[in-house]
Amino acid sequence: MSLAVRTSMLLVIFCTGVFVANAQDKPANHFVENTVCRTCHPIIWSNFYKNPHFKSVASGKEPPESTGCQGCHGPGLLHAQNGGGAETIRAFTTLPAEQVLDACLRCHSQTLSRANIRSSQHTLNGMACTSCHSIHGSQSVRALLRKPQTTLCEGCHTDVRAQFAMPFKHRVEEGVISCTDCHNPHGTFAPTWRMASRPHQVDQAAPNEEPCLKCHADKRGPFIFEHLGVRVDGCETCHAPHGSTNSRLLRRPVVFTLCLECHNGAGNFGRQGTGIPSQTPKHNMADPRYQNCTACHVRIHGSNADSSFLR
Amino acid sequence: MRITILLILIASVAAAQPPVAPSPDPAGERAGENVHNYNIVDSFETGYRFSTVGGSDAQYRSSVNYGNGIRLLGSSLIVTSRDGHGSLFDQITLSTQGLGNDPYESASLRVEKYRTYRYDMSWRQNDYFNPGLVTGGGNGQHLLDTQNRMQDHNLTLFPQSNLKFFLGYSGSTQSGPSYSSIQQFDVTGNIFPLFSNVHRVWREYRLGNEFQFFGIRVNWMHGWQDFKDDTGAVLATSGVPGAVPLPPESPVNLTRFRASDPNHGTNPYWRAAIFAQRKLFNVNGRFTYSGGRRAFVVDESAQGVASSLTRVQNVVTLGDAQRPVATGNLNVNFTPTSKLTIANSTSVYNIRTLGDSLFTQFDSATQATTVLFYNYLGIRTVANDTNLNYQVSPLVGFMASYHFSDRLISTQDQFTFAGAVSSSPAEQSNQLHSGQIGVRITPWKPLSVLLSAEIGTDSHPFTPVADADYHALTARVQYRAKAFRLLATANSNYNANSVSLTSYGSQSRTYSVSGSWTPRSQFTVDAGFNRAHTYSIGGIAYFTDAQLIQGQSSIYLSNINSIYAGVRYEIAKRIDLYAAYTRVQDLGDGRDSAAAGIGNSPAVFQAVQTFPVAFQSPMARLSVKINEKLRWNAGYQYYGYRADFTSLLGYRANTGYTSLSFSF
Repeated sequence: MSLAVRTSMLLVIFCTGVFVANAQDKPANHFVENTVCRTCHPIIWSNFYKNPHFKSVASGKEPPESTGCQGCHGPGLLHAQNGGGAETIRAFTTLPAEQVLDACLRCHSQTLSRANIRSSQHTLNGMACTSCHSIHGSQSVRALLRKPQTTLCEGCHTDVRAQFAMPFKHRVEEGVISCTDCHNPHGTFAPTWRMASRPHQVDQAAPNEEPCLKCHADKRGPFIFEHLGVRVDGCETCHAPHGSTNSRLLRRPVVFTLCLECHNGAGNFGRQGTGIPSQTPKHNMADPRYQNCTACHVRIHGSNADSSFLR
Repeated sequence: MRITILLILIASVAAAQPPVAPSPDPAGERAGENVHNYNIVDSFETGYRFSTVGGSDAQYRSSVNYGNGIRLLGSSLIVTSRDGHGSLFDQITLSTQGLGNDPYESASLRVEKYRTYRYDMSWRQNDYFNPGLVTGGGNGQHLLDTQNRMQDHNLTLFPQSNLKFFLGYSGSTQSGPSYSSIQQFDVTGNIFPLFSNVHRVWREYRLGNEFQFFGIRVNWMHGWQDFKDDTGAVLATSGVPGAVPLPPESPVNLTRFRASDPNHGTNPYWRAAIFAQRKLFNVNGRFTYSGGRRAFVVDESAQGVASSLTRVQNVVTLGDAQRPVATGNLNVNFTPTSKLTIANSTSVYNIRTLGDSLFTQFDSATQATTVLFYNYLGIRTVANDTNLNYQVSPLVGFMASYHFSDRLISTQDQFTFAGAVSSSPAEQSNQLHSGQIGVRITPWKPLSVLLSAEIGTDSHPFTPVADADYHALTARVQYRAKAFRLLATANSNYNANSVSLTSYGSQSRTYSVSGSWTPRSQFTVDAGFNRAHTYSIGGIAYFTDAQLIQGQSSIYLSNINSIYAGVRYEIAKRIDLYAAYTRVQDLGDGRDSAAAGIGNSPAVFQAVQTFPVAFQSPMARLSVKINEKLRWNAGYQYYGYRADFTSLLGYRANTGYTSLSFSF
């Protein structure tokens, strides 16, 4: 028996065991009229018409498990009979992350933007929907976020917050773009650039491109002469997308160092494995004129007329 | 103890802060007012912005760019039907920022009638100014003074039903003057400044539908993207910042130049997705195809003198390039219990760039003809990810993942066309194996600890700077109580990419601490510190005086410290005070001049391996509630930028505003 077969069998046995161990009889519980909830939760009830979830209540056609308070919090009979208590109802503040996820995905799973939520870095790192969303305490009507989006994301991603404080940055703090213009916090499909591995949770533009091209459409091409490094490994090869101390979000303060670190002719690399072409002898790096690579190679993102991007 | 923590937080902290205006506190009651069957919550803030700038105005415009004038700094309107049965709509939300000539303006709107339609709109405008690339401490080329406008419109019909329809439109334009450059007439020629009037338009139309079929949800969309670039260029005679004037004895001079490079691209795409959800597992798949195509004409004519000879060069190329992209994704998520999730995703991407064009470049002076052939590029990637997420108990959870991808890159420099001889195709394949493991520990409800490690190895990276043998470590500790939150993170990324000529390696480490403390609703302190260390070394090869120089390294060293601290204090529920300070400083490698270098790099590299800068921005804001529907606001923000290796880019700016916030 091969190692793969044995491993698969062990995995199935393990999963089955876990499943059986967790199957427990629950005390009987039933749905009640949603108006019962109003008795003890009048403020939530009276303001719930402002909540996007109210649309299921307004329709009046949904079954009790899909609408109103019990649509999310589960059957309320025991909760009402016991005069409240977090243990008699699905109280999200006490639920572990995976159960919160299960509860929300009952309705919210079948959309393209959440197709990868189970394997997203947020889920793998123990985040739950309620880490970012607050159904009853949100300041944002549209996505029910706990805080304004930028504040919310930067609250955990403090390194990114520091990058947006740099002198050259995308205008996130200024409100022109937001984190979700480029990222999908619910997980993304594997990127179509680099090795389809990193970066994590960077969303793609509709035709499977880097999100950069949504705004920088002139860099999209297709070009007759693509800058292969850009197309194969993506914009981040040269640029730091959040912010930089360098002009134009470049990874190096001076352009020619950026270029020469790839264009060094070292074997194994490039399209033929013979190295990415280095300079020709006509270049003289001792002359400042040749230190401005993009002064001549002006179409560095791709050209339709010159294989060296000169026009 | 509290004072100690407060001092630590103020002394530490990490990062960015939004500009001083608009004020975050709207006027009026958040509960709003009821009018007929609707509840209305609204507020808008209007006032005057001012700024004075000393030093490099161009650099200020590049990084801050706020000017003087009256603005609608911000506004918000929310109208909600109280019974969910409005006649034309059930909800309207509208928010704007910076309208009236701020460099960063935006508006978003949602209009919705439950179960019937939902319309979303966003509009953004960004004045983008760039003084050109910094080269050796001076201004460079490619100056831009453009305005970008972007808008998105999405209409969903029957959004809560099993049969939905989607209509959408997105568009963006970029327009404004720019300077660029051109080199004539050969590699030894001079570089000349060009003036361009940038005009680029991009549009996308979308149509889609979603329906349910035997328990399987199907979603499809068809989109049409259209791109036009009509930017041309003429010779600029003067006024290019940083342009090096030609010496009188210059061997090449350009007396006339004109170029037009119109191109028109289309990118129709199809996207289909399916979803099936069962009790123990769910499956979803996505399939896309886009047929990118761009037709172009390059028409360039140059007249000048080179080596005492009159030169006239015309370049005319035309044709089109195509990039068909086909992708497929399949995700299977297995959830045997609520504690265990196993997710597997498979992705297949096939991207090709090809064309049907042959170019001829004719030099009328030398009567030489150059024939150019398009390059073919094909990228095929197959990837598979398996993730396991298991919450053993409320105390401990584990995650593990394994990723494999295989990429094949095919290129052909000279493709058969019109009888021309093809070059031999080249192929390069590589495989990436990477794995990630992590543990989540919650020893106490307010305290969470997360540790994870990722390691990967790529058999054949495409560039010397790509990830080859890499590993990343992450640690995160968070304490979150009702009034106090403290977060500390540490990340490290190491990459080694060894080759025959030399080696490339990079290390980056990031440490951050941030916290907030709200002992009372009237008082909040928010602070953080971030340190980002980057060190990389790469082999370089170049020529000086026709001599090939090898065996040297390009070293880059950056040590960026960022601090942020903000304090908000509310007095008597009427006066709101806010003060904050942000500072970003790249210490480089400790040098304050290029004279004392590091490593064995030649002088030209020594000067640029590190670029110490400091950027700071203190601010203060005052907001006074005059009555229930009116607030008065005033704020001041200072910006200071200093680059140690050049004095050309530094600036100091005093900005501020005064405004009134209304609610009606």
